[in-house]
Amino acid sequence: MLKINDLKVCYGNYRILKGIDLEIRQGEVLSIVGESGTGKTTLALTLLGLCQGKVEGKVTLEDENILTLSEDEKRTLRWNKISIVFQDVARALNPLMTAGEQIMEPMLENKLYSLEKAKARVLTLLKEVGLSQGCADLYPHQLSGGEKQRVLIAMALANNPEVIILDEPTSALDAITRVEILKLLKKIAAGRTVIVVTHDLSVAAKLSQKMAVLYSGRIVELGETKKLLQNPKHPYTRGLLRSFPNMTTTKDLQGIPGRQENVLEGCTFHPRCTQKISRCEQEVPELEQQADRKIACHRGGIVTLLETRDLVKKYNRVKALDKVSIELVEGETLAVVGQSGSGKTTLAKCLMGLEDSESGEIFFNGSKLVNRKKEFYKQVQMIFQTPQECISHRLNVLDAVIEPLNIQGIGSREERKEMAKKALQEVQLAVDDSFLKRYAHYLSGGEIQRVAIARALVINPKLIIADEPTSALDASVQAKIIRLLLDIQEKRGLTMLFITHDIALARKISDRVAVMLSGRIVEEGPTCEVFSSPQHPYTRDLLRAAPELSSHYSQETKTLQYCQVLKLQERSGY
Amino acid sequence: MKKKALDYLLAFIIIISLNFLLPRLLPGDPLAAIYGEEALIAMTSELEAELIERFGLDKSLPEQFIIYLSSLLKADLGYSYYYETSVTKLILGALPWTLLLVGLGLVLSTLLGFILGLESGWNRGRWQDKGILTGLMLLNGFPDFFIGILLLLVFAVSLGIFPLSGALTPYTGLSGFALVRDILWHLSLPLAAVVLSEITASYLLTRTTVITILGEPFILTARAKGLKDTAIRYRHVGKNSLLPILTRTGIRVGRIFAGAIFIEIVFAYPGLGVLIFNSLMARDYPVLQGIFLLVAIGVLATNFIVDLLYKKIDPRVV
Repeated sequence: MLKINDLKVCYGNYRILKGIDLEIRQGEVLSIVGESGTGKTTLALTLLGLCQGKVEGKVTLEDENILTLSEDEKRTLRWNKISIVFQDVARALNPLMTAGEQIMEPMLENKLYSLEKAKARVLTLLKEVGLSQGCADLYPHQLSGGEKQRVLIAMALANNPEVIILDEPTSALDAITRVEILKLLKKIAAGRTVIVVTHDLSVAAKLSQKMAVLYSGRIVELGETKKLLQNPKHPYTRGLLRSFPNMTTTKDLQGIPGRQENVLEGCTFHPRCTQKISRCEQEVPELEQQADRKIACHRGGIVTLLETRDLVKKYNRVKALDKVSIELVEGETLAVVGQSGSGKTTLAKCLMGLEDSESGEIFFNGSKLVNRKKEFYKQVQMIFQTPQECISHRLNVLDAVIEPLNIQGIGSREERKEMAKKALQEVQLAVDDSFLKRYAHYLSGGEIQRVAIARALVINPKLIIADEPTSALDASVQAKIIRLLLDIQEKRGLTMLFITHDIALARKISDRVAVMLSGRIVEEGPTCEVFSSPQHPYTRDLLRAAPELSSHYSQETKTLQYCQVLKLQERSGY
Repeated sequence: MKKKALDYLLAFIIIISLNFLLPRLLPGDPLAAIYGEEALIAMTSELEAELIERFGLDKSLPEQFIIYLSSLLKADLGYSYYYETSVTKLILGALPWTLLLVGLGLVLSTLLGFILGLESGWNRGRWQDKGILTGLMLLNGFPDFFIGILLLLVFAVSLGIFPLSGALTPYTGLSGFALVRDILWHLSLPLAAVVLSEITASYLLTRTTVITILGEPFILTARAKGLKDTAIRYRHVGKNSLLPILTRTGIRVGRIFAGAIFIEIVFAYPGLGVLIFNSLMARDYPVLQGIFLLVAIGVLATNFIVDLLYKKIDPRVV
């Protein structure tokens, strides 16, 4: 068991690690992920006693504190108990020594084997890592990148250490070689204690059972790899996941706002966090157990912004909402999909307080919504489906956009006008006087819709409930507006409830998706999961009906079986 | 390697051709260019005719070239009218001493510079490094002959431990071990002077190389493998630093010859340096030309050896 207690490392005044606590059990594979410069490699080097900086804390391996060992004792520790596979594959081998010599070196240095036995062991190791025996006599420049990586792995195994550290084990390899090396690493990791240091989440997913997310010298989230990747709770973990291109998630890539700063006070992540409160700037959050993982966040991870419980709404005898429960967390997009008449718009109206629900509860920011005050509408805005009707014909463009600012009393007159202009520019509209003075009914459908979007964005809300906001727009304008919304989401943590019947659009913009049918949510989950393995037959139909660019058209209607069943039921008055 | 050998052959042909062409391209009488004005004053007309006949100066250039080449093959580099003996004989008399001095000087200065550079670079910024660096930079500030004079004054004149001049004690009829000792005794001071004036170049190069190599990832690998400092320093850093040092040594041969001239003169050491100096003073062109040819070939040969060594050390060189 490898135990790290309150490990701190600094180079001069620059603190790289600011108190790391970790426990890695025998035979466990732990990955340490994070952007470059978060201290991953420093941590790896410290475990080997190779860190040049000032080290404080405790690293215990077999009841022995590594950090207090003498230089000679550290030397015997290295490779005999902890070995490492270094990052820079191309340069990690001595160009003037053969692969065999280099693999053999640590065995002979510690006099573990005689020369003959060491040579024999080199051949066994080469076989184990999938190289031919002839490679022993080759020099590094005669080996390919993948072969070099295998030699490095064989070398790491030489003295049969208990702990192996893999520092970015696949970063220098092409995709195919990468898969092969990952397989090999998986094989050698069995029964050993392995620490994988990487910024590549897919490597962490493939190799590790446990994952620690490191940011700016602190662990911000720690738990089972699978759970962390499926449902990241810390905003940083979510940011990493959103910016990592992969074949699993479908949402457009989003980054993490700002850049890594050397934060002296408070949570290290607070300058980049979209849900920070004043406490985050003053106190360092402890890594605390929370359900299935440990998390270091004053807000307990990503907060739930909006939640409904068993919302029911009836129009006469028709149930428009039938026990609808949804949850929206900060900075995410929940797409509500379903055909028209499934209750999507009713849900939006109930949330906004435009319709009263019969029963059920709505929570906003953790407290139950009873009556909505002005403050609520400062944070929550709606973009309506039919903008022609939602903009008064007595208002010109400027008046319409400025209206929320007037209501909320934000800024002076001049400032309001500037803010309105900025919002209009963001949605790709003109800001000259003639346009600002134009009345809504003189605008085209697409223009009015964009005015409506500008009006919702102008007060910079935290949550937007968007009911088919882009349905009247050209694909090109829609793309720009979606990009804008996602950018605001990235920068300020804008949360969106996005109602759409466009499955393809939902796939690109949402983190989670809820499928509605006849007032009920029939399926709900992470977009990638729902879309790759839909459980409900209705979801399957929706997916089949989604736009695609292939020419096989005739199949579609035939395969929408569930919808046909529904229609039959309707006709028979069921 | 074949291509390398061809390159050397080409360089050799060019050197020989230049050596042949240069005096003949000079304006005026080629004999004057070959022998110098002074030699010609004492020349009788029969001698002149004999020389023209010998160099084929009345024949065409290609024919002259063939005559030149065939005399080269016979190791005939001409005749020194100043020393009144053949140039080949003169050079052969001086060459062993220079080879001893320059050859040993080159090897020792490279080796010492390498070791000091390795220690210095390894301990970069610590007192060992600062001490060696300061000392050698100070030494590097002195001209070659000044070091010679200084050594001579201290160890030969004041302390009297080493002889003042020469390569061996004349007329003693020593032989065997006693002779070797005598030769080494005479060699000590000039050799020290050569080594001291040459050491800085290889030291500085080694130090920089070592510092660069210490930053290489494979050194981190070696450290992580738990190797002892000496193993890392010599097996990993040292061997890799050797490559640029070797290359540089090949280039330095020409320079060290020139440096040795002054030192030989200071110690009146009977090598090529003194011969060059005297010939220059007497404008004994045939001797000078012969020596230049020899030095050029020497540089070529050393570089060839360096190439062979390089191939031995660096597997990447094909």
